[in-house]
Amino acid sequence: MKIDDVVCPFCGCLCDDLVVEVEGTRVVSVENGCTLANEKFMGDHRLKTPIHREGKGWKETTYDEAIRETAEILCDADRPLLYGWSGTHGEAQSIGIHLAEILGALVDNTSTVCHGPSILAIQEVGHPGCTLGQVKNRADVVIYWGTNPIDAHPRHMSRYTTFADGFFLKEAFRDRKLIVVDVRKSESANIADEFVRIQPGGDYAVLSALRAIVQGKRGIIPPSVAGVSREQLFRVADLLLSAKFGAIFFGLGLTMSRGKSKNIRNAIELTEELNRHTKFIISPMRGHWNVYGSNEVFTWITGYPYAVDFARGIAFYNPGETTSVDVLSRKECDACLVVASDPGAHFPKACAEHLARIPTVQIDPHVNATTHLSRIQIPVAVTGIDAEGTAYRMDGVPIRTRMLFRGTYPSDTAVLEQLYAIVKEIKGP
Amino acid sequence: MRVILRTKPRKKPFIPIEAETIIPQNFLRKNDVRVYEGNKERRLEEIFYITTEGPAVSPDQVEIVLSGETGNIKRVGEYMNAGRIVVEGDIGMHCGNFMSAGEIVIKGNADAWLGREMRGGTIRCEGNAGHYCAAGYRGEKRGMRGGLVEVMGSAGDFTAEYLCGGEVRIHGDCGDLPGVEMRGGNLTIGGHCHRPCGNMTGGTCMVFGRVHDMLPTFRGAGNEEREYRGQRCQMMLYKGDAANRGKGSLLVKNIEQDGLSPKKK
Repeated sequence: MKIDDVVCPFCGCLCDDLVVEVEGTRVVSVENGCTLANEKFMGDHRLKTPIHREGKGWKETTYDEAIRETAEILCDADRPLLYGWSGTHGEAQSIGIHLAEILGALVDNTSTVCHGPSILAIQEVGHPGCTLGQVKNRADVVIYWGTNPIDAHPRHMSRYTTFADGFFLKEAFRDRKLIVVDVRKSESANIADEFVRIQPGGDYAVLSALRAIVQGKRGIIPPSVAGVSREQLFRVADLLLSAKFGAIFFGLGLTMSRGKSKNIRNAIELTEELNRHTKFIISPMRGHWNVYGSNEVFTWITGYPYAVDFARGIAFYNPGETTSVDVLSRKECDACLVVASDPGAHFPKACAEHLARIPTVQIDPHVNATTHLSRIQIPVAVTGIDAEGTAYRMDGVPIRTRMLFRGTYPSDTAVLEQLYAIVKEIKGP
Repeated sequence: MRVILRTKPRKKPFIPIEAETIIPQNFLRKNDVRVYEGNKERRLEEIFYITTEGPAVSPDQVEIVLSGETGNIKRVGEYMNAGRIVVEGDIGMHCGNFMSAGEIVIKGNADAWLGREMRGGTIRCEGNAGHYCAAGYRGEKRGMRGGLVEVMGSAGDFTAEYLCGGEVRIHGDCGDLPGVEMRGGNLTIGGHCHRPCGNMTGGTCMVFGRVHDMLPTFRGAGNEEREYRGQRCQMMLYKGDAANRGKGSLLVKNIEQDGLSPKKK
């Protein structure tokens, strides 16, 4: 059976034009998808049943037993951490936050290792943004700063920018100017009209210089800023000022390099400055599928987008203090529930070591690096393949994903609802 | 009155203790002082051996001495408005948050957010301070507004972020972007630092060591002589940050454009 308009469950683009062929409980082909999407739909590393560690090996267990054991671990803890959430749908994220509240736990999502600094900057100076549809139809100048979409978001350029013809840009490839700013010449840089190579850690200085140039203070700029010549800075500033509608997309090259949130703040303030002359927007290239949704759901319920600490019964937020990497590296938490992410593969070694030391439970469809650090793993359905739910695209547009076939696995929502009920029963009224 | 709090051994020593209740005014009367250990509320006696010496009739006459494993105790002196706190060793995050009067002396190192959004009083740290020393809270537009924070050792990144008033003296080195978003007050750095005063709109920062990677948006405005620890120093004066309103003053003794990332502390 062929199913049209399927939403991809991999990156923040949430491409919703895929055609997927299903036979029984198996995906047999994917059309319109990138390599990453194909692997996500066709990959087969799923755990068959819940497992828990016994001695040096693993033993299969039932869902009921695994969920009850998880509840007991979390209720015994003085500082439990509930981490992940970005690979699942909003409905499951919502239950997770309520679970954190009754446990007095820390709850954090994968923003902590990607665009958390972008959120801090947005909280300081706001966010001049728009939907990707507006960019596709209007943007005649596009900047990719510290991101390589050809590798990380393979269809971003073909759906929204360089290769996507828009309402006001009939020949996008010729009409749109593309600027790539990076520390190395990436695949995306190869097709750019202007490639700006910055010394590592020099983004803040270059953004400050561009702000000054846009303000008309060209005389202050030294001959070279972080490896970029004054002439090139003037050329780039002129390109930005000549845009009818400009869009800046930035990635982890900006958020996770020296200066962190201050880099993003500087980029947003450059965007604001450009808006005095023309129309400009800025948008983060969100990577982990529904990470934007986790920020949305966290904010509705707690007031904060990530790194929320319920230890004292009320929500407290302070990235650097309540973020998972910091909490784990300081060995603060004494139990961890990982849902729909793989910190074992992405966190620093000290954090992975602590996860292995404390009782860690993983709710995830796949065997991954975190499996090896866990005491229990509960396999679930994959949202967008054998579970449905709501996810947010990187520009904040909610998209409902569909169940392509009814499989044998319970969804994240079902497992978390059962876990929540048991925790509530243990904790009492 | 002197209150001595010595930590008891704990089963889970890495779990932080949140102790904003440790301020002089709470010890004036025999209040039921409680702290949090993770998600559990504890009586003070469960965490500390408590010794009280002498009487007091006002919070000004109360001195609290903290000793033992204090490096994981957060928020000591938060909203403090009188009296004195002496920490014999290290102290955890947020020490002296929002304090308006009184004195805190830390004989060891202080963790991040020392003196966050402080309004008045004095904090003296004899060791090193962590990131965001004398800075603002997330999303806050104003950081420290009054008082004095003095660190005899070094401080981490984003020291005196959003500084609006008062004085911050770091006698050692600072990390990256000290005085970032600064809009008032005085920041003095005795050692070296990287990229000081990004986006500053007001106030004065003096760096008596070497500035690495000076930002390109500061305009030279002559030389001035300043005194630091009894020595007269010839300083280069810059006005900036021109990326913003550019009304701050940055005085620098040496500049090095090495393009290297700051060393991890």
